[in-house]
This record gives sequence, C-alpha cells and structure tokens, in this order.
Amino acid sequence: MADESSLAQWAQQHVEAGLLKPLAERSSRFSRSRPPPHESRVRVTQTTLSRDKQGREFVSFSVDVRYGTGDWHADDIVGCAYRASGSVFVKSGEVYFPASRLLGKRVDAAPGVCRAAAPRS
Amino acid sequence: MSLGSALITWMSLPYFDFETLPPFMIEKLPLKFESSWLAALRIHVAAASLSFPLCLSLMTRALQRHAVWHRWLGRITGLLVLFALLPSGLVLALDAKGGGRVTAGFLLSGAIVAAAMIAGIRSARRRDIAQHARAMRHVVGQMSVAVVSRALIVGLDALGVDPDVAYVGALWGPVLLSVAVVEWLSRRPLASSRKRIETVERMRRELSPFVLMLRIRALVRAFAGDGR
Repeated sequence: MADESSLAQWAQQHVEAGLLKPLAERSSRFSRSRPPPHESRVRVTQTTLSRDKQGREFVSFSVDVRYGTGDWHADDIVGCAYRASGSVFVKSGEVYFPASRLLGKRVDAAPGVCRAAAPRS
Repeated sequence: MSLGSALITWMSLPYFDFETLPPFMIEKLPLKFESSWLAALRIHVAAASLSFPLCLSLMTRALQRHAVWHRWLGRITGLLVLFALLPSGLVLALDAKGGGRVTAGFLLSGAIVAAAMIAGIRSARRRDIAQHARAMRHVVGQMSVAVVSRALIVGLDALGVDPDVAYVGALWGPVLLSVAVVEWLSRRPLASSRKRIETVERMRRELSPFVLMLRIRALVRAFAGDGR
C-alpha cells in the first residue's frame, strides 16, 4: 500500500515538475493558442508498475484541466513516466512521443513505449 | 489597433524559430501535412505582420494626402493580402481548431477581405474614392478581428469561460461586428462627415489627370515665359 502511494506521488511530482510547470511557463498570452488551464491535476491511472516489451518499468498517467469554475476536462494529456530513467512520454494520435514535443522540441515518435507487454503464460 | 498589431507581431516571433514548434501548432498535433501547414502558418503570420500595419498607415490622413505614396504602398499591400495572406489563411482555415464553426468564420472573414480588396482596387482605378474608402474599411475591419479576437480570448479566459466556447465567440463576434460598424460608418449622414468628403474631394482633384495636365501646362508656360 505504501509502495502504491509512493509510486503515485513520485509520478505526480515528476510530471508536474517536468511537464506541467514548463508548459505553463511556455504558454503565450495574446495569441490564438489555448490559454493555460486555471487548474491542472495529474491522475496516475494504475496502481502498480507495468513493463514494456524491453522490460522497462513505467506508470501511466492522465492530466485533467479546468477553466474557471467549470467541469474538469479529463485526459487533456495522456502519457507515461519511466521509473528508472525518469523519461516522460505523451500520446499524440495513436503514437507516443517524448514529452519534450509538447514543449516545442522536434522529436520522433518512440515506438513501443508506454505499452505493457503481454503477460507471459 | 497599431499597438495590438505590434503585440501580435511580437508574440508571433517564435513562429520563426525553426528549431522548435510553436505552441499554437503543438495543440493541433497530430497534423496530416505538418510541414506544409507550418509553412502556411509562417507565410500567413509574415504577410499579416506587414500588411496590417501597412493598411493602418494607409488609413491615415498623412498618407492619404500623399497620393503617390498612398498608391504605391496600396499596391504592395494589395499584392501581399491577395497573394500571401489570403491563400495561406485559406489553408489554415480548412484545418482550424474548433471545427466547422470556426472554419466557416475564418472563411467568411477571408471572403470579405478578398471581395473588399478587389472592389477597393477597382474603385481606386475608377477614381471612385468614396467607394474605395468603404471597401478598404472592410479590409481593415476584418484585419482588426485579429486584435479584437485575441483581446476577447484573454478577457473571456479571465472570466473563466471555457476556451473552446470563447474561441468561437471571439471569432464570430468581431467578424460580424466589423461588417456592421463599417457599413454604419459608410451610411452616416453626409453632414456629419463633411470634413471627410472635403478630403476625398481634395484627393480626387489631386488625382485627376485633367488637373495634372493643366498644372504641367501652366508650369511649362511659366518656364517658356521666362525664356522670352
């Protein structure tokens, strides 16, 4: 139980510091791009670590956003964070990219990440 | 409006950082034709950064008094708008964020600019200054949507309005309001705009080839007289 909460806490803090904070700093005013959300929250969508095909452990997350006092918009960002390396990936369409793409970096898709390998029988 | 135009240009500088993707593009990802869309965005932003300040300066009395300058800057602006701003805007409008309602808003605004610019050029060639002024006000009115719409987006965001709703309202409101304001200004009673008519008449006199010919003839005669 303690492991679960520490995993969720780690993922939350990691995504907030490595993704949401830089995103908020980068968003521009007086442009046609969407204003930064008034509130964001990171939801860790699994209680235990998953392993991808290469055996690396990751945890999936979703970011919900809210404007004013309106409803929360779920899954504004969907992605995963790797426990060992700390790498964060985000989903765009059906493909995952390094999270730096949301910060404007030109990066290629990362095939195979954030997808749990089928359990061995 | 000039301040708003300068602010948009300033905020658009990241679009020309070729190493990174601008936030406006990132929120639209994944795009089918990413590089063509980004090229259209850059052309649109560059053309708007030049043509909007040019349009605003062409509306000033100072430039209207200098017919030659007004004519040449007007030609440059017309070319920029018709062959860079509008085609690139069309590409962006077809893939506008917010779906069909927003696409329709941008297409309507673009159609007004295109029709008014062509009508304005034709009326200038006919020396119909009043009609030219009316058409060009429509062009400037639609270009001002860029500033008003962004200001509304900021204001509605401060009020906590959902950005998707704000985006549609902040586009359609200024597009329709600009048309209404320009038409209202154009149909005002003549007595209230006597000064404007005097300027128009003075420009007409300055532009008239007959008057120009008379002036040249008088000048030639004066020189010829000196030579006697």
